[in-house]
Amino acid sequence: MTTAPGRHAIHSYRFNAMGCPCELQLDAEAADAARAAAAAQAEVDRLDRKYSHYRDDSLVARIGAAADAGHAVEVDAETADLLDFAATLHAQSNGRFDVTAGALTKLWDLRASRVPDADALATALARTGWQRVEWRRPRLRLTLPGMRLDLGGVVKEYAADRAAQCCREAGVGHGVVDLGGDIAVVGAHRDGAPWLAGIKAPHDTGRAIAMIELLHGGLATSGDYERVMIVDGRRYSHIIDPVTGHPVESFASVSVVADSCLVAGAASTMGMLLGVDAGDEWLRGLGLPYLCVDAAGRTRGTLLR
Amino acid sequence: MGSAMRFSPSLAALMSAAAALVPDAHAQSTTAAETDARVSYRFNDYSEDAFSGAAIGDRDRYRVLSQQFQLATPVGADAALSVSATHEVMSGSSPWYVLADLQQRPLQVMSGATIQEHRNELRASWTQGTGSAGGTTYSASYSKERDYRALAAGIERSQPLGAAVTLGYGGSFSHDAIDPFEAAKYNRIDHASKNTASVFGSIAWIIDRSTVLQAGLQLNNEHGYLSDPYKLASVGHDVVADARPGRRDAVAALLRYRRAFAGPDAALHLDYRYAQDSWGVVSHTLEAAWYQTLPAHWEFVPALRYYSQQQARFYAPFYADIGDHNFVSSDYRLGTFGAVALSVNVRKRIGQWEFSGGVERYHAATGYAIGGADAPVPGVVSYTRAFIGLDYLLR
Repeated sequence: MTTAPGRHAIHSYRFNAMGCPCELQLDAEAADAARAAAAAQAEVDRLDRKYSHYRDDSLVARIGAAADAGHAVEVDAETADLLDFAATLHAQSNGRFDVTAGALTKLWDLRASRVPDADALATALARTGWQRVEWRRPRLRLTLPGMRLDLGGVVKEYAADRAAQCCREAGVGHGVVDLGGDIAVVGAHRDGAPWLAGIKAPHDTGRAIAMIELLHGGLATSGDYERVMIVDGRRYSHIIDPVTGHPVESFASVSVVADSCLVAGAASTMGMLLGVDAGDEWLRGLGLPYLCVDAAGRTRGTLLR
Repeated sequence: MGSAMRFSPSLAALMSAAAALVPDAHAQSTTAAETDARVSYRFNDYSEDAFSGAAIGDRDRYRVLSQQFQLATPVGADAALSVSATHEVMSGSSPWYVLADLQQRPLQVMSGATIQEHRNELRASWTQGTGSAGGTTYSASYSKERDYRALAAGIERSQPLGAAVTLGYGGSFSHDAIDPFEAAKYNRIDHASKNTASVFGSIAWIIDRSTVLQAGLQLNNEHGYLSDPYKLASVGHDVVADARPGRRDAVAALLRYRRAFAGPDAALHLDYRYAQDSWGVVSHTLEAAWYQTLPAHWEFVPALRYYSQQQARFYAPFYADIGDHNFVSSDYRLGTFGAVALSVNVRKRIGQWEFSGGVERYHAATGYAIGGADAPVPGVVSYTRAFIGLDYLLR
């Protein structure tokens, strides 16, 4: 009489990548699911190695080294596409979304649990800004020594989409990829039923404040409770405003649903960067379903009916 | 995202920039989620056990051989069509009436073996809308045999009430007409009809990602000629026509539990159904099935079903005298009995072909009823059913 999932078992694979817990849920026969999961995990690991700003052997580290030496770097097509996407985000956000904030994010490194001093902040701020980049596909030059790329705002979401695509290419058309809360749908359940994703309540990460049905595309959440550092009782989010050089004071989280996790992630990060009122207004104008949760747990957006 | 979404200039810019990185993810996932079109053929052999008790007449009971062709296909992105045609050939004899022997024990009288009878049925359904927005299914069917015609139509809707709850509801109506054979010779009614209306509602809860619970309620109303023109009842030394009330109201409640197990790649289905009607028939059905997926696209489904019913108030194998009996029926289907059924189905996919087959053994006895036997039901029937099927998936 109604859709009733449960006819088939769902295979779940958990692993850690990109600094967060990841999970694949695949609605397929065991052998097919295992093959697809291996391909998807390998793809996430590849992107982690390539774009991590924590690894000395990554492409991001190589671009940083070239900046210090004053050289340009010729990048591959995938990286070029990511940089084109980043350039679009920079333009669309009046400079708030900036992948050249690597020096700033390193300074606010949440693993260090310290607030940077004013001099260091000023130095890092001077080495931040897409306008200081020479980008003529496929050649990229960061014009100042000490400038660093930070693709953290797009790579994890892109990796979720890529992992979902790997599952489809491996013959599994029904499943979902979750990279630390960034979700890409491989395809609806075998019986056509949607996947359910919970959006966590702020500061109570075990509880869902909303459940979202996903048939395709992606869901991304930006927020200060996923990754936060507390110094002397004050919370600092991992999202740094490249204009002020400080972590943004904004919503506790912003979630967006889009045709891809990449677009959802860009929109949710932008909503965070713009702050409570401007972010809400911008998201409403964008037209994608979204949900903002403020520090007190109040919600706004179009995802809750 | 549906086509109804408006694209702001900002979103258009984001999406075109993302297109190089995640080409057409939406189109691919939508395609992957769609069900394949499928053409199916089924051959079914339903064979009742020969009558083993005290009887007069041919002991070979019904055998029904049926063939079914079905086409099921998605239509566009948001609709699905299913059409099926069934042809059945029936032969064998059936319980006619029951006499009391000298010790007042029942003696079943069987009808003469029928010549082969044919039944044809056409059925079509159209589902509009799928997935999170809910869907509506419209269905219609027509069935015809030499003495019987049935026309039915139904509508049902599935509507999500939130992320984890789905409401289902609907209704159906059917009109059946019968023109019994040899009406004059056996003093049968020469034409009769009945109407059946049914409504139902259900709620399905997704408990967690591997568990679904569904509860439903169904109301059924039949009115018109509900007797069986081919059955008689013994009343004293007379044999009279089967006579039942002209109206029957029934209520049924059902509970379905679905639980998937990732480790063995299997799913457990547990179903319970309770039904009660205005004739006094009360029944319980309990079924457990295990859907086991095996490597190389095999599926193996063993199932066990238990059924128990309490007889209609006016049922008796025979009646001592007419008394104040307005209604008389010795139809075994209205007696007290229980049944146990064991079935095994297998399915194997090879490329675009899917082979299936199964066998069910259904064994009924008055002593299997909850609370034990009531009035004797000499005609209670056991059967074996087997099917083979071949499906072709169109991609």
